Amino acid sequence: MAQAKIEQQQQPATGMTLIVMVGLAIAFLLFMAFLNVVKSGNLLSETNLLFATLIFYCGAGALYLGFGVTGIESYVKFASLATWLGLIANTAAVAHRWYEAGHAPFATVYEMLLSFVWTLAVLTLVAEKKYHVKVIGTVTMPVAIVGVVLMQLLRTEVHPLVPALQSTWLHVHVTLAMLAYAACALSFALAMMFLIQDHMKTETFLAVTSASTLGIYAAIVLTRFEKWGGLNLVAWDPDRKAEVFLSKGVRLFVTIPDLGWVMTLTLLAVAAPLVCYGIARWKNNDSYLTVANRAVFLSILLQVMTLAMFLVRARDSRYPSLDADGLFPTTLAASPFILSGLVGGVFISLLYLLLVWRRNDLERLLPTSDNLDRITYKTICLAFPLLTLMIAAGAYWANQTWGSYWSWDPKETWAAITWLVYALYLHMRVTRGWRGRRAAYFAIAGFAVVMFTFFGVTYLLPGLHAYA
Amino acid sequence: MAVDSRSFAHKTWRTIASIQTGVVLLILVVILSAVGTVVLQRPVTDPDEMQSAYSPQALHILDAVGLTDVFHSWWFLGLVLLVSLSIVAASIDRFPNSWRYFSRPYKYPEESFRRALRPQKSIPIADEESGIVAAQRALHSLGFKSERVVREDHFGIFAERYRISELAVYIVHASLLLIFCGTIIDGIWGWRASINLNEGQTSNIVELHDGSTRTLPFSIRCDSAGQENYKDGSPKKWWSKLAIVENGRDVTKKEIVVNDPLLYRGVRFYQSSYGPNGKVDKLALVAVPMAPSPTSQKQEIGLAVNESASLDTETTVRFAEFFPDYAVRDGQVYLKSRQLENPAAHLVLTTKSAGISRNFDIWFPEIDGVSDNSKSPWQFQATDLKMGHFTGLQVSHEPGQWGVWSGVVLMGIGLAFVFYVVHMRFWVVPVLDAKTGTYSLWIGGSANRNRDAFEQRFADLTAAIEEELAATTKVVPREQATDKPGQKLVV
Repeated sequence: MAQAKIEQQQQPATGMTLIVMVGLAIAFLLFMAFLNVVKSGNLLSETNLLFATLIFYCGAGALYLGFGVTGIESYVKFASLATWLGLIANTAAVAHRWYEAGHAPFATVYEMLLSFVWTLAVLTLVAEKKYHVKVIGTVTMPVAIVGVVLMQLLRTEVHPLVPALQSTWLHVHVTLAMLAYAACALSFALAMMFLIQDHMKTETFLAVTSASTLGIYAAIVLTRFEKWGGLNLVAWDPDRKAEVFLSKGVRLFVTIPDLGWVMTLTLLAVAAPLVCYGIARWKNNDSYLTVANRAVFLSILLQVMTLAMFLVRARDSRYPSLDADGLFPTTLAASPFILSGLVGGVFISLLYLLLVWRRNDLERLLPTSDNLDRITYKTICLAFPLLTLMIAAGAYWANQTWGSYWSWDPKETWAAITWLVYALYLHMRVTRGWRGRRAAYFAIAGFAVVMFTFFGVTYLLPGLHAYA
Repeated sequence: MAVDSRSFAHKTWRTIASIQTGVVLLILVVILSAVGTVVLQRPVTDPDEMQSAYSPQALHILDAVGLTDVFHSWWFLGLVLLVSLSIVAASIDRFPNSWRYFSRPYKYPEESFRRALRPQKSIPIADEESGIVAAQRALHSLGFKSERVVREDHFGIFAERYRISELAVYIVHASLLLIFCGTIIDGIWGWRASINLNEGQTSNIVELHDGSTRTLPFSIRCDSAGQENYKDGSPKKWWSKLAIVENGRDVTKKEIVVNDPLLYRGVRFYQSSYGPNGKVDKLALVAVPMAPSPTSQKQEIGLAVNESASLDTETTVRFAEFFPDYAVRDGQVYLKSRQLENPAAHLVLTTKSAGISRNFDIWFPEIDGVSDNSKSPWQFQATDLKMGHFTGLQVSHEPGQWGVWSGVVLMGIGLAFVFYVVHMRFWVVPVLDAKTGTYSLWIGGSANRNRDAFEQRFADLTAAIEEELAATTKVVPREQATDKPGQKLVV
């Protein structure tokens, strides 16, 4: 570890070049993914506006990352400028959507992502200008980028509102939800920064990074690996722009040959750092950690390769299926979660590399740990009332539409669970004086629950919130 | 023994009121709710789906422990009651302290308190009175009402704002209990049901979700119902014109749509679905006589099922039957299904001439061996078939919902106070340094939250006091200002 650090101080350019190169590669891949879905249209069409948003957010993300690496202040200025430009394009996209749909853009997952990304960009600028947390963009911008990419893949046609959604309370409810979730995302980013500033060991971050990427690949391989190294993806009907169903609730899967092996290989590669970490802890020998860091680097290369292969093979091709005869088409849009998982894995690993290479600079640039702890708490003080109001508005709306203010629908239940988790955080903080690490862990866990409520419930659990 | 039981009761009380108990209970609620969203729940799942999702043994066990209906099981209700009890106990346990704090504000800082308090500052002053006056003016300019506090041998100034913030957390807890009360009242006395009404139908019997029925003290009638579509064919709006009938007369009428229910005597009717009921509303026909005469002319008629119309003095036609989906077997027409797939209408034409009455069976479409269409003295053309519709209504009675809504409002207010209203206190005390014989003004402040913002405010206050002091020393000559310094102490 120490050796690696000295190396970095001697050759600061190498680390940066690598990061910039990987960043450029990702930007290129995003561009490829975008080309896949871009449709010809007039200049100010929604897709083009979103494309502009994506480009500016990518630029902002890269500049924030560059600031994180080099600590050069002028990077932040350009990064904020790029964020502002991205925000303008994003606002225009929201307005365009609003105008076209005739209702506030909160009805589908696509529209909510649009609003979520917008809120995230606004909060990033607020955190930067008001609280001087300049590095926050390194975390929030990539999240925004993943959001925009996901949006490209989800269906984009304007759907008229079904009768149940025609209510002012829809707007109130969803606006509050987006604000609350964005505040939770911010508290998560701040808690992570607190952990860095609180001198949490770099190898702990290594373990967490490795474990989360391992989780992503394990989830993909376990659920989608098919005999003889194939990878199962959902078939996609390009005319209806929807997944193909064999019967109610049973999706048709196509198998892409060999991609399963690639996934398994990458799974092993992302598991390697965790194994090295385990050995280092067991043998109490730090030299294994140096190996682990190299393994992370290798795993990033493999992850980028996997992402590239996935993008190339999963877009607009026809593959055989085990359940039905003939070839069926699939596109990236059919597997938004695998794609975001892959992009997310690369992103988490890159953040770890940034930490390894530039920890000292990061610590110098971030506010003090006490301040970060306090800002995290303040963000949650903002998120909690918003969550409360969001649930209350949702209950009132449900009472108008479904005839009952509380139906124990999974989304409702998970919203209540989120609320309880943050309520626990507040109680522990006020009555037990939880500060620092424990509070930060709690904030991170809270955000994990939020993410599950937002995405997991919609896609994994059945329920009344079928619109989103 | 008596002491033991008292100490036991005391221990129990402490356990219930402790924050650990509350946290453990909340964690249990979280885990069990999460389980309830993962395991399929009986009230919202088809029995068949339950059967196919779990093996019979697993289903038996899940049913036995209530995991297939977590949110209506006795242990979940018990847990919620325990949480309520814990909140009540914790609030009662802590409330007296907070109340003392609230009702008897700490106005004069003792020396030990002065030593420990942060933030604080000392400013040298010429004499007590000018310092106090400057502090009062500074506090006033910052919008605080200050109060002179006089004790036996010393005095000072106390100023505060938003003392209510200290009690805000009890408002939030009380609101939560109010919400629980509302839901429990609804759980005991509330019910949910559904009713399907055809256009024109009146009913006072609703079907509860467990399959039993409930008779309302009044009836509901659907006058008409309809659906509007978007251009792409997806539904835009469902509406029903409803009327409440009580003692044979209409007491209220309303057109309901999906987000706008009808409320009558605590019972609410919601639009939930709409569709064809497989029954004919009106069949439009053109009737042409085979032998036209001045009394029997070509005419247009509209018939509902079982309705008759006279075509001329000797002829009547009755709409006898309607099959939404028919099949013919052995010269008989059967109802195949209630779906509007393959409809058939049966008319009966009756002629009376010279006292002999004859019937002709007329079918649309013509069915060989069954219909007498060609023999009939009148020919018919069906021009339009208007189908009847039903409107599906959800009915609910939730007497506890006012508890819930007032609880929600109260919680909003409480949370606003908890997070954004800061109880700020300032103390100003003139202090005489015994060694040097000089006076200084001790200023201290405290806030119950948001301390960094408060420190800024405190800095503003001390700056304002220093400014006031500078202004006073300029205007008032030093000799006058230092006149009779000790006099006020005696008061």
